[in-house]
Amino acid sequence: MPSNYPGFEYDADRETVSAAKVKALESLLIEKGVITGQTVDTVLSHFESKMGPFNGAKLVARAWVDPDFKARLLADCNAACEELGFPTGMSGAEGEHMRIAENTPEVHNVIVCSLCSCYPWPTLGLPPYWFKDPTFRARVAREPRVVLSEFGVELDDSVEIRIWDTSAQIRWWVLPMRPEGTENMSEEELAALLTPEAMMGVATVKG
Amino acid sequence: MFTKFEHFAATSLMGSPQEAPPRQDGHLQFDRDWEKLAFGVAIALSKQGHYEWEEFRQTLIATIDEWESTHELDDPEWDYYQCWLSALEKIAIASGVLEAGELEQQLAQVLDCKAST
Repeated sequence: MPSNYPGFEYDADRETVSAAKVKALESLLIEKGVITGQTVDTVLSHFESKMGPFNGAKLVARAWVDPDFKARLLADCNAACEELGFPTGMSGAEGEHMRIAENTPEVHNVIVCSLCSCYPWPTLGLPPYWFKDPTFRARVAREPRVVLSEFGVELDDSVEIRIWDTSAQIRWWVLPMRPEGTENMSEEELAALLTPEAMMGVATVKG
Repeated sequence: MFTKFEHFAATSLMGSPQEAPPRQDGHLQFDRDWEKLAFGVAIALSKQGHYEWEEFRQTLIATIDEWESTHELDDPEWDYYQCWLSALEKIAIASGVLEAGELEQQLAQVLDCKAST
């Protein structure tokens, strides 16, 4: 489709060709019987609905409304995931031995990681770029209060900050504090307040 | 240790910001529909055993390196999924899933079809 703006024509053409090319590639592969019309949807659904931060959000929301569940989540994160029917990677996949650290008025938890593959994928989804940055990791260890305030998390001096190195053995994530003023919210509404950052400890949850 | 191929494939790309796909709030970020399709096809073909995922990864890295060696680092034309698509084309032909020329032919048909509707 030619653009009305000279100089943007290349972009518009490139877009049309790229979109057509992928379509052509898929239809060729379907024609040859290499894949079916469902194959790509199956792959994408894995990222869109099976593993991702929506799982972590639901677990945290349930823990906020159900103290017994919260106790189980803290004691055995994988079992709690299974209770809600979420994947944990129990058969050796990532997410094996997940543990959750609870934020309280006295303690704030942050997770760091030196290897990308140690992120708690099943509950937090894909790690953000900065998470793997060695500078970030080093600075969190050295000056956590400063780093957290850069993320917009201002903690009182009395709050202890604990840093958890998420590893291949234990993949840590954070149970944030339930914000004030959310007493009347449903579990679903509460889940919608959660972000991956809050479950990494670099953000707080806003009501 | 992964039981889900999709999981393994995506995680293997997280090693450097250069080769990692764009993401937002823990999700893959697709700005255009064709990006999703290209992403899914690349993983599906490897999952079915047409090539090793590492081969795709290396092709992607080589394609990105090539782009970077011929463009300024802040070139606004930079487009991750254009590189992805280009890598996918290369590996589809190299692995024998497609024959050279086949895609061009099909593409011409798709484009013709668009022009006539």
